[in-house]
Amino acid sequence: MKDLLKAVPWIGPAVALIATVVLFPVGLMFWNSTRDISQSGVDDGGVGLANFATVVGFQYFWPILGRTVVWVVVVVACTLIGSLALAALLNKAFPGRRLVRMAVIVPWASSVVMTTLVVHYGLEPYFGIINSFLVDVGLIDTPEGYGWTRHPGTAFAWAMVVAVFVSLPFTTYTILAGLQTVPGETVEAARIDGAGGVRTYFSVVLPQLRGAVSVAVLINIINVFNSLPILKVMTGSIPGYDADTVMTMIFKYMQNQRQIDLASALSVIAFLVVIGIVAIYVRVVRPLEEV
Amino acid sequence: MAQYKRSGGIIAITLAATTGLTACGFGGSGGEASGDGTTLDLLVPSYSDATQGLWEDVIAGFEEANPDVKVNLQVESWDNLESVIATKIQGGDAPDIYNGGPFAGFADDELLYPVEDVTSDETYADFQPTFLGNAQVGDTAYGLPWIASARALFVNDALLEEAGAEVPATWDELLESAKQVSELGGGVAGYGMPLGSEEAQAEAAVWLWGGGGSFGDAEAITVDTPENLEGAEYIKKVIDEGATQADAGATDRSPLFDIFVQGKIGMQVGLPPSVGQIESDNPDLEYSIHPIPTKDGSPFTLGVADHLMAFQNDGDKQEAITSFFDYLYSADVYVPWVQAEGFLPTTVSGSEALADEEALAPFLEVLPDAQFYPSTNPDWAAADSAFKALFGQLDSDKSAKDVLAEIQEQVDAG
Repeated sequence: MKDLLKAVPWIGPAVALIATVVLFPVGLMFWNSTRDISQSGVDDGGVGLANFATVVGFQYFWPILGRTVVWVVVVVACTLIGSLALAALLNKAFPGRRLVRMAVIVPWASSVVMTTLVVHYGLEPYFGIINSFLVDVGLIDTPEGYGWTRHPGTAFAWAMVVAVFVSLPFTTYTILAGLQTVPGETVEAARIDGAGGVRTYFSVVLPQLRGAVSVAVLINIINVFNSLPILKVMTGSIPGYDADTVMTMIFKYMQNQRQIDLASALSVIAFLVVIGIVAIYVRVVRPLEEV
Repeated sequence: MAQYKRSGGIIAITLAATTGLTACGFGGSGGEASGDGTTLDLLVPSYSDATQGLWEDVIAGFEEANPDVKVNLQVESWDNLESVIATKIQGGDAPDIYNGGPFAGFADDELLYPVEDVTSDETYADFQPTFLGNAQVGDTAYGLPWIASARALFVNDALLEEAGAEVPATWDELLESAKQVSELGGGVAGYGMPLGSEEAQAEAAVWLWGGGGSFGDAEAITVDTPENLEGAEYIKKVIDEGATQADAGATDRSPLFDIFVQGKIGMQVGLPPSVGQIESDNPDLEYSIHPIPTKDGSPFTLGVADHLMAFQNDGDKQEAITSFFDYLYSADVYVPWVQAEGFLPTTVSGSEALADEEALAPFLEVLPDAQFYPSTNPDWAAADSAFKALFGQLDSDKSAKDVLAEIQEQVDAG
């Protein structure tokens, strides 16, 4: 107890900081999700769990949740596979490696919205560079190109491509850091025992990357689940709810329908889902334990 | 190490203190007057890149004439405007004057001054009666009509001539001409049909009302009606027969109009500022402006008026707001503002001043036949967003009936 008191001056500010910028907004979100808030933002009293019933009862709720799962799984899996390959490449010595390593950081250093907009404009019919290219090489018959961002399926697929692209740098560097902690002796020993390159990688190197990979996956799951800007830009003009994830749906409740109460209720659900996923993940994979 | 810890602690304390202070601002009223003067908070959307400068000029002129009043300007994009105002109201930090579209929701929540309480008699009498009537909730006007716009059909004369098509006055003629233009090939589309989320409600009104339908009135929003269904089914027909650009359901209006300006679209419904856009981006475009085709060829246009609103807040700024509005609506201040943004004026004196303006003539001509969104209905905001989110589904396997029913359902739930 005395130790705790002694520590207060040191941990106090941090606790205060967490309370004001993390706990307070979360509390407010939970509070708003049980209120009836008018379109202009006036609080008309509590309604218990009615907002949750409305959100879950919405006819597109389950498809949206399912699409969110697909979004997270596909993006994180592709990111991981791409990053493992990239990291293995960048770990080898070759001329110009420093430059390539720098280049990999670029998507990380630029704004996600900007990156997405560049791709989005490229996909526009009539003037988009990607469409022009596909028309010129004869893959598309219509002279104005194809409306990639105008159809739920293709828009969602392109959003995934962008999401993988912007997630690669962080994941690659996390894995690259992990690769450099793999002792050269273990690889050498495998070689002496007669293991080939593939066998060495999968049986010796990869198991030692467990820590790096599991941390990278955990952070990616949270990031990708909570990602709004890519989908907002890529699928924003599509009518209906056939390209929405939980995050874009929250945004639609808030921005289009101005139902802050429903948006808060769905945010609470999303918050609980993320916490659930992370809890299961931490339990099963134990990413924070020593290998 | 000890040194390191201490400075870390100081940083943490500073952070905590500043964020703490910011958090306190959450419930405060903000923007209080200093000394004897009054401060007016003004929240406006950006109509164009020039908007901020135009407002700054107005404010500078006003502050010179009224040295005891200060005006704080905040400019937001249209995309953010409505969430900004909702957040501000929820935080007890509403602006004193707000420039926006729908106002009935605010009036319903008893947040606004009636227009008569914040304008002099002369200013109030100068508003065009049709616009003032469109700004009422019950019998009281709560929105000050600010700028107006009307729609008209922009026609690419060169394309129509090449295709041997006539400028249409009815739906059937429109479909015929559009198909002829589409057949030119090379990526040219006959009719530009923007049903994407940006402004689907406008294209919906152009067709549904042009066939004799309506979105309802101040009492009830009615979308799913036989009259509206006729227009919706004709939209489907125009799309299905290949008379429009590809993917009409997810095409936004502004990017599509850029294509029109580039000369790749035969006909599209445009606004007064579209004239200026063509003037600056592609002055060589051969185009003309015509009334919107309707089912039977009777004249009609979709009128839109944006409004200024005065929030009551603490109730002690009524005088300052009144003097600001009187200054703002005086013809010398108002007309240049409207003209610079390329819109139509909502005051009698403003219309007189602009009567001989050539570019605006086709629009001023159709203005008497203007119909407005039922924006005095508190549910209009819900209907507006339902149209934005759902109307584009006409360009899919869904039937027109189902689309209208789904919109109606979302309005009724909203």
